[in-house]
Parts: sequence; C-alpha cells; structure tokens
Amino acid sequence: MSKARGAPRRVLAVWCPDWSPDVPDAGPEARAFEQVVAAVAEFCPRVEVVRPGICAIGAGGPARYFGGEEALARKITDAVAALGIVCRAGVADGLFAAQLAARAPPRDPAGASAGTGTPGVIVTPGVIVTPGATPAFLAPYPVSVLGVPVLADLLPRLGIRTLGDFARLPVADAANRFGVPGARAHRLARGLDPRPLTPRQPSADLSVHIDFDPPAGQAEPVVFAAKALAGRMQAGLAARGLACVRVQVQATCADGRDITRLWRHDGLLSALAVAERVRWQLDSWRASQDAGRSDAGRSDPERSGPGKRDPGEASPAGGIIRLRLVPDQLVRDEGRQLGLWGDAVISDRVARAATRVQAMLGHEAVMRPVLAGGRDPAEQVTLVPFGDSRAPLLPAGRPWPGRIPAPAPATVYPVPLAARVTDDAGDAVTVTGRAEASAPPARLSAGGGPWLTVTAWAGPWPVSERWWAAASARRRARFQLVTGDGNAWLAAVQDGRWLIEASYDLTVDATASC
Amino acid sequence: MLPVLPALRELLPGGLQRGSVVAAGDCSLLCLVLAAGASIAGGWCAIAGLPDLGVVAAADAGLDPGRLLLIADPGEGWPQVVASLLDGCELVLLRPPARPSAQVRRRLEAVARRHGGVLVVAGDWDGAQCRLIVARQEWTGIGSGHGRLRARLVQVVADGRGAAARPRARGLWLPGPDGAVAVVATGIGGLGIGGLAGRDGETGGVASPWRGMSAG
Repeated sequence: MSKARGAPRRVLAVWCPDWSPDVPDAGPEARAFEQVVAAVAEFCPRVEVVRPGICAIGAGGPARYFGGEEALARKITDAVAALGIVCRAGVADGLFAAQLAARAPPRDPAGASAGTGTPGVIVTPGVIVTPGATPAFLAPYPVSVLGVPVLADLLPRLGIRTLGDFARLPVADAANRFGVPGARAHRLARGLDPRPLTPRQPSADLSVHIDFDPPAGQAEPVVFAAKALAGRMQAGLAARGLACVRVQVQATCADGRDITRLWRHDGLLSALAVAERVRWQLDSWRASQDAGRSDAGRSDPERSGPGKRDPGEASPAGGIIRLRLVPDQLVRDEGRQLGLWGDAVISDRVARAATRVQAMLGHEAVMRPVLAGGRDPAEQVTLVPFGDSRAPLLPAGRPWPGRIPAPAPATVYPVPLAARVTDDAGDAVTVTGRAEASAPPARLSAGGGPWLTVTAWAGPWPVSERWWAAASARRRARFQLVTGDGNAWLAAVQDGRWLIEASYDLTVDATASC
Repeated sequence: MLPVLPALRELLPGGLQRGSVVAAGDCSLLCLVLAAGASIAGGWCAIAGLPDLGVVAAADAGLDPGRLLLIADPGEGWPQVVASLLDGCELVLLRPPARPSAQVRRRLEAVARRHGGVLVVAGDWDGAQCRLIVARQEWTGIGSGHGRLRARLVQVVADGRGAAARPRARGLWLPGPDGAVAVVATGIGGLGIGGLAGRDGETGGVASPWRGMSAG
C-alpha cells in the first residue's frame, strides 16, 4: 500500500459519550475512564489518552492481526461494552478525523444492532473511513469542530462554513491570514497531521527519570517528584526548540513490572498537569491491582470492580522505584502566545508551597475557591483542590433573585448551627405559614452557646426553593439578627427549628470566642 | 512593605512590614481587609485554620479568589504548614489551632523574616510587631423588625513596637454601604483616642460623636 507523502497513519479512536468534554481532566470522573483505557490496552498496549472520554491507538498493526479494521473496531467496542460503558470506535487517517469518525452517526442503521455486547448497552462500531478518503469525510463538517474558537467565529463570517471550504484555501493564504493556529487548523481540515513530525531523531536522549530509594509505597511522593521531573523534561525540550505531541509516563515497580501509558501533550501541558496524569495512572493501576488481588483471594470470576482500598496500605508491587518521562513524537516548538489579560498565572513559588502542603496533608487539603452562583451563602463558592480545574457547580453571573443581599457574611457554616431564639417572655419565636413572626426576637443562643441579647433584627424573609423537586425542596424564613456583642447573624427558621446559616463576622465556632 | 487598602493607610503608615507578624487581636473582618491590599497588588494569600470562611465576603473585601489558597485544617503539624505557605505566599492569614509555644513563635517569625512574607494572626501573638483590634462596632441599616444590614461602623485601634508604638485609632466603614472599606469622613478628631487605647474598647467618651454619624 503506497501512502501519500505526509499522510498520517491510520488511527482508531474510541469515544465514550458518558464523559462530557467539560469533565475536568484531573478529577475522579476522569480517573474512572481508566477502565476503558485498560480494556483498549488489551488490543494494543500503546494507548494514547486524548482526554477523559477519548483514547486512541495506531490501527495499522492491530488491524492486520485482528483481521481488518472493522473487526478490530467491533472487538474493541464489544470489550468496552462488556464493562457496561457505551462507546463508539472510528478509524480514519490521523487522530482528528478518527475522533470525528467515532462520533459520526453510523451509515448503515442495521449495523447498530449487530454488536454482541451486554444486553441494554448499545453497541455501534462507528464509522470506518477508508484510507485516502479522509479529506472527503471531513469536508461536510462545520469549522467549529476544529476547536479553535477564534476561527469558529471568524470563518463563517467570511463565508467559509465547512472544513471542505477551508481546505480549499491556499496553504500560504491560510497561514498568512490566521497565523500558526490557523495553519495548524488548515492541515487538520485537509486530513493531515496538525504538525509535521520532525524528520530526524534527536541526537540526545531527552527522557528524564528519577529513582526512589527506598521504593515509594504511596502515590503522593511520586506525584510530587513528577512535577519537578516534568519541568525538567520541558526545559530540556525547550532548550532544543522542540515540543512533544505525547508524553510517555513509565513507572517501574520494585518487582520489575512497568506501568506505562501515553498521554496527549501537544506541548500544552504544564508540569502540574503532567503530574496529575501520573497520579491518575498510579491511582487507577493500584485500584486494578487491588481488584486483581481480591479476585485471586476469593476465586470469584464474576467480580471485576476495584477492591476496597486502604490508603495507608503499601503498594502491592513493593512500591515504585523509578519514574521516567519520555517525550514522544517531537515537533518544532512554534511557541504559544499567552493572553494579555485573564488567567492568574501560578508562579512556581506558589505551586511549590501548595504542593508541599498537599504532600503533608493530602490533595484535598489545599483548596482554591471559585465564585459560583446560588442563593445561599454556602452555595456561592465552589472549592477546588489545588492543581485540579473545575467549573463552579452553579453558574456565576446570573441574577439569582432572592439571594442574600450584600454585605456577604464572613463566616458561612456548611452545616447550619442549631440555635434557639426566644422573645422577651422566654418563649421560642415561631413563624407562621404567612411568614409572620410570633413575637420580636429578644435573645439568641447559637450552637448551644451563651444567651446573647438581640439588639436589632429584620425579617422574616420567606424562601421557597426548588418546590418542584421533592428531594431538594426547601422552605425557610430568614432573619438577620444583631446581638449585643456586636456580631450579626443570618438565621433561618425551617420546619419550626432555628438555624444559624452564617455570621457576618469571622468566628471559628459560636461557642468559643476568639 | 506590603501595601494595604487606602482606608488603612492612616492606621498602618507605609503598609505592612515584610517579614513581620501582625496580630489582628480578634477574629473579624479586619483580618481579611488587612490581607486585601497584598492581594490587590498581585500577591498570593493563604488562609489557614478558618474552615468556615465566607469566600464571598473575602472577595468583597478585596481578596482575589484566583490568588487565594485555603487550608481549612492545618492539622497537628500546623507550624510546618505555615512555614511552607510563607515560602510561597506574600501573606498568610492564620488562626492558630492551638496556642503556640515560644519556640514555635520564634521559628515562624524567623521564617517570615527570611522569606519576606507577612503573617497575619487572627488571635493574639506575643511579640507581634503590630496589633490591631476592633474597639467597638455598630451595624447600621437594621432596626427592630425593619430594614436590613447595610454597613458597619467600627473603631480600629492599632499599636505596636518601634515606629508603630503610638496607638492610633480610626473609625472605618467595615464594610461601607457600597461594600467597600472606607474611612469614616467626619467627627474622628473628637474621638477620645487616649481612652480607646486601653484596648477594652467600650469607653464613654466616644459615644456622643459616634451617635452623630448616621448611616447616610
């Protein structure tokens, strides 16, 4: 088979729609994708993880072995479906087209039911694009699939709506008008690899490694070292003006076994992001080890879920003795223009301090807040572990009518404190169904603390949230109370009980004064 | 020197001395306002030992949430955690989980000096270069069954060692009706500063000019 010069190799992409593109690439959902990767790795050990939800293998060799591309795609989708996960596989020239092929609707509707997987799981082998037909396959797609927001906005306004239109532009004009990202996108639209591989082998070994003596039993120190290691690898590449498309992470255990995985890099992953992928790789590997061990112990072939894991337990294979990062598929580094505004740049100094604290207290101990929407003070912040990226749970920047007016309380109790509020006569203050207080609040005891005199108060403000969903529905009547010690409180009555939701001053807890 | 918000410049001329420890006397919004100046100037802040912190209030005070690290529970080894944080961040706001021994105090002071960071302590700290306390406070905008919390007037007293030895007291809006921290414009000259410096706050001398300031 003759190949056109510069035509990319055959790639099989596996796409699982359960992982949306919004899944952050370092969280637990992302790590759950590992079981799919492990299933695909049974067919070809060099699996490349593009992002959670998409992985790819070079289709050439495995297709010859398993009896053709279609048979390979069917075997892989069946294997993933056996895990109870919906997936599609597509084969085309190059990773970009293969991803689209995996997501394309099947051309033959009868093929949709031809799978032999678990009942209830839809098995569709996806689309196989014959060699050389990739440009024609790509042509009808809108330019937005290129994933370059600037082009997705600009090209349709210039009358270029599909990849076919874009591919017809002369190469030089595309590069002149749209710069480096445009030239890259233009290559994709023509069915080529986004960047030509550097033709020569590098003279020096650009891989970096670190040895652990004694072997590292926990993932934490390995991940910690991986950050520094990734920084070293990138510095080595940058000194030669190179970037790598993929990075191979290779961890060697004390018993001689290797845990190897390829990760899509594109020269864009920070040292922190590489370290996160190392964590992902080690975590999932440990989970599968434990599962294997418990299987062997119980000799129960039905069981396939990860076993219960004791975080304090040493690694089963005697710990990690060496971690090696190998840059793969070297390309010339064309640089990246950072935005002038926006992104808070995390300096190395801060990252070092935060990771050192994480090494002491655990990954979830250092949080970065992201402001979110919502009505309650507790809802308005999403905490994200340092190193992960996560969107707020509720979108910010929407009006959220009925939210607590400014000023915002300085102490917000994630679980409201129980409180008691009485009137002058010492009787508990209640709120009627028509949101009227039975008597003016006179005294407050928060969280079992001492009785404080209420000097000023306002309310009740009824809040009825999510009345359409019985599980999360909530009716509260809110009060603001100012007490004699100068503090102000956000209180609420729910189901006849008083709760302290927040305090307007900074308090550690209501019982201990600072 | 680390910059402070304009409203605090009279209390802390020049800002917060790098490498120093500032005791904010009491857990209050004042701690967050002290940290805000450094955050606005582009520095990173870490807050340790305040698990229930209202981040929205911190953001309103001027702290940039994008440059904020939260360590809810620094645990038993909190001096080591704080030392690591001082290495990376310009300002660390700490609520010590336990009363620090003299040895721990000296060690953290040395770490702060070496890295040029500022340690703001929500609580007391023997040997702090600067101390600030809220002497009295009063909420405005809320009555008996009407209105809502809108702003708070506070009297802040600062004293310290060396150049900062003379106690100074200022009235502040913390927060003001527009959410920002501001100096109370009028009537401050008449406040009995000498009486307030005694740190117990409630003195009769301040009551009358204080009442004269309405929430407008």
